[in-house]
Amino acid sequence: MLLEVRDLHVEFRTRDGVAHAVNGVSYEVDAGQTLAVLGESGSGKSVTAQAVMGILDTPPGRITGGRILFQGQDLLTIREEERRRIRGAGMAMIFQDALSALNPVLSVGDQLGEMFVVHRGMSKRDARARAVELMDRVRIPAAAQRVRDYPHQFSGGMRQRIMIAMALALEPALVIADEPTTALDVTVQAQVMDLLAELRREYRMGLILITHDLGVVADVADRIAVMYAGKIVESAPVHDIYKAPAHPYTRGLLDSIPRLDQKGRELYAIKGLPPNLTHIPPGCSFHPRCPMARDVCRTDVPPLYEAGEARGSACHFWRECLHDH
Amino acid sequence: MGRYVVRRLLQMIPVFIGATLLIFLMVNVMGDPIAGLCGERACDPATTAQLEKEFGLDKPLWQQYLTYMGNVFTGDFGTAFNGQQVTELMATAFPVTIRLTIVAVLFEIVIGVTLGVVTGMRRGRPVDTSVLLATLVVISVPTFVTGLLLQLLLGVQWKWIKPSVSPDAALGELIVPGLVLASVSLAYVTRLTRTSIAENKRSDYVRTAVAKGLPRHRVVTRHLLRNSLIPVITFIGTDIGALMGGAIVTERIFNIHGVGYQLYQGILRHNTQTVVGFVTVLVLVFLVANLLVDLLYAVLDPRIRYA
Ligand SMILES: Nc1ncnc2c1ncn2[C@@H]1O[C@H](COP(=O)(O)OP(=O)(O)OP(=O)(O)O)[C@@H](O)[C@H]1O
Ligand code: SF4
Ligand SMILES: [Mg+2]
Repeated sequence: MLLEVRDLHVEFRTRDGVAHAVNGVSYEVDAGQTLAVLGESGSGKSVTAQAVMGILDTPPGRITGGRILFQGQDLLTIREEERRRIRGAGMAMIFQDALSALNPVLSVGDQLGEMFVVHRGMSKRDARARAVELMDRVRIPAAAQRVRDYPHQFSGGMRQRIMIAMALALEPALVIADEPTTALDVTVQAQVMDLLAELRREYRMGLILITHDLGVVADVADRIAVMYAGKIVESAPVHDIYKAPAHPYTRGLLDSIPRLDQKGRELYAIKGLPPNLTHIPPGCSFHPRCPMARDVCRTDVPPLYEAGEARGSACHFWRECLHDH
Repeated sequence: MGRYVVRRLLQMIPVFIGATLLIFLMVNVMGDPIAGLCGERACDPATTAQLEKEFGLDKPLWQQYLTYMGNVFTGDFGTAFNGQQVTELMATAFPVTIRLTIVAVLFEIVIGVTLGVVTGMRRGRPVDTSVLLATLVVISVPTFVTGLLLQLLLGVQWKWIKPSVSPDAALGELIVPGLVLASVSLAYVTRLTRTSIAENKRSDYVRTAVAKGLPRHRVVTRHLLRNSLIPVITFIGTDIGALMGGAIVTERIFNIHGVGYQLYQGILRHNTQTVVGFVTVLVLVFLVANLLVDLLYAVLDPRIRYA
């Protein structure tokens, strides 16, 4: 297994109290596999990814439990220097907003080349040549000239290609893409997503794709993990989920995507708001918003039931949910 | 860029005229420039008339200003009443003040930036809180108090330094006065650097730099500092003009014969030509320093383009 996250807990100490952002998340990614992580804003998708990368803001963040195994090595127990060498070379991250994630005062060539200078000990000149190659690779026109340009001189789509190039520079085994197309124009979203999928196949990387966009998930992901209030509520192969969700929250998410065959019909929206992470409801944390909730849901925390082959659902009534569909 | 510089230089003209005219008027309403010349007693009418004619003081004010400005552009800043050329005074005074300013700026850079970086990286920790408190004290205590206190302690009490700087004002003698001159700005530089570092530390691009697996020192120097110091450098650049003009208090305390000293003497003796001349040059220094800072800004931050 390439990456195994086991029972991860992360909390943030803030003025308003302790925010329990991640509460026992477990997921795994195999080499060459794509895991899509879904969930509303604030469900802990990014925090989990940051914990894996080792770029959590500490303080206020704190990992209070769990293990992160990367190629069999527990990242939470190794020395920081070893961890640093893995970052960028073994695993890399693509951020949502390339404009703020790239350094505004360094040329893109410097920022790309830096990967080779630091991790591979290359000379600046060789690194610059590799930067041009990378820019070519992500199909940036006139790469040789543009390598000296600064991030603000590129369009949003081109900037995100540079982010992708930077993440793939050292051909890491795992890439985490945190909403890589959300900040882009709709017209270029598909192009960037296609490029990412193509390169992932070519380099045979494992990919964690964090997204709100259920549309792309069906095309690129092997598995889906759905998060709610810092927990995985359903985890399954992508086709199983689309066929029939085993958790009411997943069903709510699926019902809220616009579909061609239901044009004109009002879109479904999950009622209510995500919970306050300093006061997560007892029992099933989804119960205040769940259309299927019963008394037991208010008191008993549902474990991740085995709901089929390689499939888990954290709902007491996953069977009903599955068959109702 | 070239067009921008030309435009800025043209904009300087009205500012320059306005500032000099203002100081010219102020110095002239300040009192009778002749009064101080005949010792304790008032001058007799004949001498007054003669002196007024000699200095062109019988002409209307606007004419005096025009004549004066015309002369300035040919490099003639007039004569002080003691007969010395004002340019001569400048030639001795400005090098001293420039040296003093350099010492002050070095203090701002070395101490101010270092403290700012240290506190910005450790916000909320004891170092941060104590340095912050210290800067608050420095900012709120007037410079002449800090200056006199240091002079008294280091110069008179402990005799580490000479309480009064010799006329040639060597660099070594200017260390303590330079520190006094820098003190308030130094406190501001510390605070500005601290805020800037703390803000940028949490920025996305610093997080990216960490995610790239760069060693910590590289993240800090190449990514964090590069960005955080842009506003600090701008502040220090702009401060150079202010320091030179503001040296008047420090120079009085340590008896340094620089620009501030000459200005003080000029004002005390109603010496119009000296005061206006020195202020004119200071205004020019200020304007040019500001232009250079703006140009430097474009070099440091590629997002800024002047057209
Ligand atoms: N730096 C931080 N300081 C304090 N709290 C934080 C911080 N980062 C995250 N959190 C807390 O963790 C929660 C989960 O955040 P996270 O960024 O993982 O959500 P997300 O699922 O990625 O949502 P989105 O879709 O909006 O990106 C936030 O709601 C917030 O309460
Ligand atoms: S456990 Fe109960 S509240 Fe939670 S999702 Fe299932 S039915 Fe809804
Ligand atoms: Mg997020």
